[in-house]
Amino acid sequence: MEAYLYYNLIMVNSVGIIDYGCGNLRSVFNAFRHIGADCKIVDNPKDLVFFSHLVLPGVGSYRKAMQYLQQHEFDYKIKKIVSDGTPLLGICLGMQLLGSRSSEGGETPGLDLIEADVDLLVCSEEDGHLKIPHVGFNTVHIDTRSRLFNGFGDSADFYFTHSYRMSCKNSLQAIGITSHGEKFASAVEHMNILGTQFHPEKSQQSGLKILSNFIGLKPC
Amino acid sequence: MLKKRLIFTLLYKDGGFCISRNYRLQRVGGVEWLEANYKFSDVAQSIDELVILDVSRGVSDKDLFCSVVSQITQDIFIPLVLGGRIKTVQDVDLLVRNGADKVIINTLISEDQAVIKELVETYGSQCVIASVDYRITDGEMLLYSEQGRKRLDYTVEEYMDLLYDLGIGEVFLNSIDRDGTGQGYTLDIAKRVVAVIRLPVVLAGGAGNKYHFEEGLAIKGVDGVSTASLFNFIGNGLPQAREHLLDKGINMAKW
Repeated sequence: MEAYLYYNLIMVNSVGIIDYGCGNLRSVFNAFRHIGADCKIVDNPKDLVFFSHLVLPGVGSYRKAMQYLQQHEFDYKIKKIVSDGTPLLGICLGMQLLGSRSSEGGETPGLDLIEADVDLLVCSEEDGHLKIPHVGFNTVHIDTRSRLFNGFGDSADFYFTHSYRMSCKNSLQAIGITSHGEKFASAVEHMNILGTQFHPEKSQQSGLKILSNFIGLKPC
Repeated sequence: MLKKRLIFTLLYKDGGFCISRNYRLQRVGGVEWLEANYKFSDVAQSIDELVILDVSRGVSDKDLFCSVVSQITQDIFIPLVLGGRIKTVQDVDLLVRNGADKVIINTLISEDQAVIKELVETYGSQCVIASVDYRITDGEMLLYSEQGRKRLDYTVEEYMDLLYDLGIGEVFLNSIDRDGTGQGYTLDIAKRVVAVIRLPVVLAGGAGNKYHFEEGLAIKGVDGVSTASLFNFIGNGLPQAREHLLDKGINMAKW
């Protein structure tokens, strides 16, 4: 009965942007609105079921973010909904939270939706001119089979700002690779679970195209 | 490899926008003027970052500033830098909540370094940009705060070390002498500064045409060039400048 009710309430192409106290969500909201999506900021985990697509944005500390998600029971609600097939897009810290663990702010387990480690970017001595945090537009080398990059060629430029990076156990899930001192996963895709280390909402038309591809995904 | 950047700076004062010459301001028009002369959401597709500085003197209505910022930026999707008149962590919090990815500070650096450290801790180094304003007097590079009114008692080398130690993420190198003149950046100073600094450097003050951008970006260690001129790149000036820079093989993002 409950499931039947939800079915009727879910709006087609409605995007729930998860607010877990990690940074400003306005630009993500504006970007989805710009491409014509019906979007809302969601600060109560009970409301997550009302959306056809979920976005986990965020900047800030991994440890604080996970603590907040756990304390407010977002973590298991997100996992439950994603296991039912709702597409989920993690952005920046939001993508890292999809991974298994991070060493930021002390060893912290993640949502473990994608088998991946999150650690500080490594820039060797020879890369003395490279700076951490990695901030600015940089090139993403694209796995053109991915749905998130549908319509893109084999590379495109996106805006990054981060110090930690994700490394996937299954390299096929890293659908975007970027180099800054080392190569890292700049976008991930595993079934209905997707993520970008870069900020689509700060990456001009290319970023909006990513968001359009995301809302075009059907639940699986 | 990280791309080089073309940056547009808007000078906001009491509800309108200004041009500046040697840090003296002249009002040009309001948001409507900007939209009529720039088609802002189109022009924004030619720049890598937008800077909006509140250069109001005396008392400034911060809520009005934020509402103008929201109005200009709601349909543009690039990194946003806000600044001007920042004295406290609360000031920065307000700007970040209004969409700032980074903030620019100057006067506060020599006034209250505890606040700078708190900003770096709270928002990260990447969020905090120092504007380094200078004049050349008898061949010497002198640093200023308070919109060019107060001379700072640091050598360039001392000041760059201080910025690095404070955890500042980037330097906006601003020539007061060249500001608004359209004569080009002071390239010799840019070269001297990038040689002693370990932070990304953006050149500001003096750009009059696309060749000035090219000269600035050609310097190894210069990460970006900025213009605050509302007239030199009016209409299609910025899209054409970007095309020129890409033609010249400068490593810039493509969309």
